[in-house]
Amino acid sequence: MSGSEALLGVPMHVRDSSQREASDNVASVNRSADFERLALPLLPSLYNHASWLTRNHAEAEDLVQETFSKALRAFDSFQESTNFKAWIIRILRNTFLTSRTGIATSRTVFLEDHPHVLDTTDASPTPEDNLIRLDNQAALQRALEQLEAPLREALLLCDVEEVKYKDIALILDIPIGTVMSRISRARRALRQLLQPQLGESL
Amino acid sequence: MTQAIEHLNPDTLSAFIDGELPDGEQTAIEQHLAGCHACALRVLSATQLKAATARAGRRFAPSPEALARLTAQVRQQPQATARIHSMRRLAWVGLAAALLLAVSLIGWQQIRKTNSLSAELLDQHLSTLSSGATPQVISTDRHTVKPWFQGRLPFSFNLPDAQALPPDTTLKGANLTYLKGQPAALLLFTIHKHQVSVFVTQRSSGPNLIALPSVRSGFTIDSAATHDLQIVAVSDVNPADLDALVAVLAKAQSSS
Repeated sequence: MSGSEALLGVPMHVRDSSQREASDNVASVNRSADFERLALPLLPSLYNHASWLTRNHAEAEDLVQETFSKALRAFDSFQESTNFKAWIIRILRNTFLTSRTGIATSRTVFLEDHPHVLDTTDASPTPEDNLIRLDNQAALQRALEQLEAPLREALLLCDVEEVKYKDIALILDIPIGTVMSRISRARRALRQLLQPQLGESL
Repeated sequence: MTQAIEHLNPDTLSAFIDGELPDGEQTAIEQHLAGCHACALRVLSATQLKAATARAGRRFAPSPEALARLTAQVRQQPQATARIHSMRRLAWVGLAAALLLAVSLIGWQQIRKTNSLSAELLDQHLSTLSSGATPQVISTDRHTVKPWFQGRLPFSFNLPDAQALPPDTTLKGANLTYLKGQPAALLLFTIHKHQVSVFVTQRSSGPNLIALPSVRSGFTIDSAATHDLQIVAVSDVNPADLDALVAVLAKAQSSS
């Protein structure tokens, strides 16, 4: 050891600090490589979700861009045990909420589970359930557009992004029970929206 | 087998197809479905809706350009900061270059100024050489020359006695002139028959005559500065003699 040190002719403390610096650099490079590895595959999802939130291509791109830069800055606080997708979607959503469109959207009052909706919790299967034809993509997209934003958001996170309820609760800052009821309500609303359209086309 | 569970309520059904129910509940529902055709149909329908929603919800894709921009943003995060650094460095280099350019411009203007000034001095000197030119005041007497400038110049200067001048150096006369728009005394001397023009200007308002080249077009330019005057001599006489005259003139200013 001391031989190699003498051979290198570099004082120990100098080499120590330069090695530490080098390893810090490696760590930060690894860190950004980690970020790239985690974030890049989510780009289509983030863009899609951003588009559903903003309903505008330019705004969606800006939103994703801002999300990436915020996420990278906050990446040190990200813990490996947490779901990265939920973590970054949460950033996306919070960024959206502080945007002009987001603020305008959040002004709309959403009533959580108002009673007459609950009244329709009809346990018996209806013939319509089986009549709904889901091959009409355009009709379903229109129905999704007509959903109240909080219902649509929860449903899209569940069905499109395949985020678990507990993570949706984290993203939307609501209790898990509320996530469950919103998704259920969103599906019932979709059925109702789809039926008359299909009735016309049938 | 009693069916402990009623028909599925929508929330339970929804959570069931999402696989979000606790294991025990999940198993119980599966048992119910095995015996309840209606609920099984609803589950099937709900699963189909979920799949259709997944398809319909994947609706927006970024344009190739937007995708490229966003991909580059994620890929080049570390490089992006590096680019900011290099941009910063580039900005400093640019600033340094601009400073150098400004300094060199000032220097160049200085050279141009002194060049044009020495040309002006030389022109004035040459015009005194022409045969027809007679000084405005023709006198070898310093007591005539000096008072003549009173009221003509915004400053005064001393002239040494004829005896104090270097050997074979004679005051021939004087002119009121202007250098770069500033009034100046032009004293005409001869040293060994060589014509000498000596310009006396105020240091505070006159052009800087000190940084002039010492030789121009074969003429020697010599200068000295006193507390508030500048003295510049132009002649084709040998530099040592010119220097002696300038030195005497400069000394005369401090002796008063």
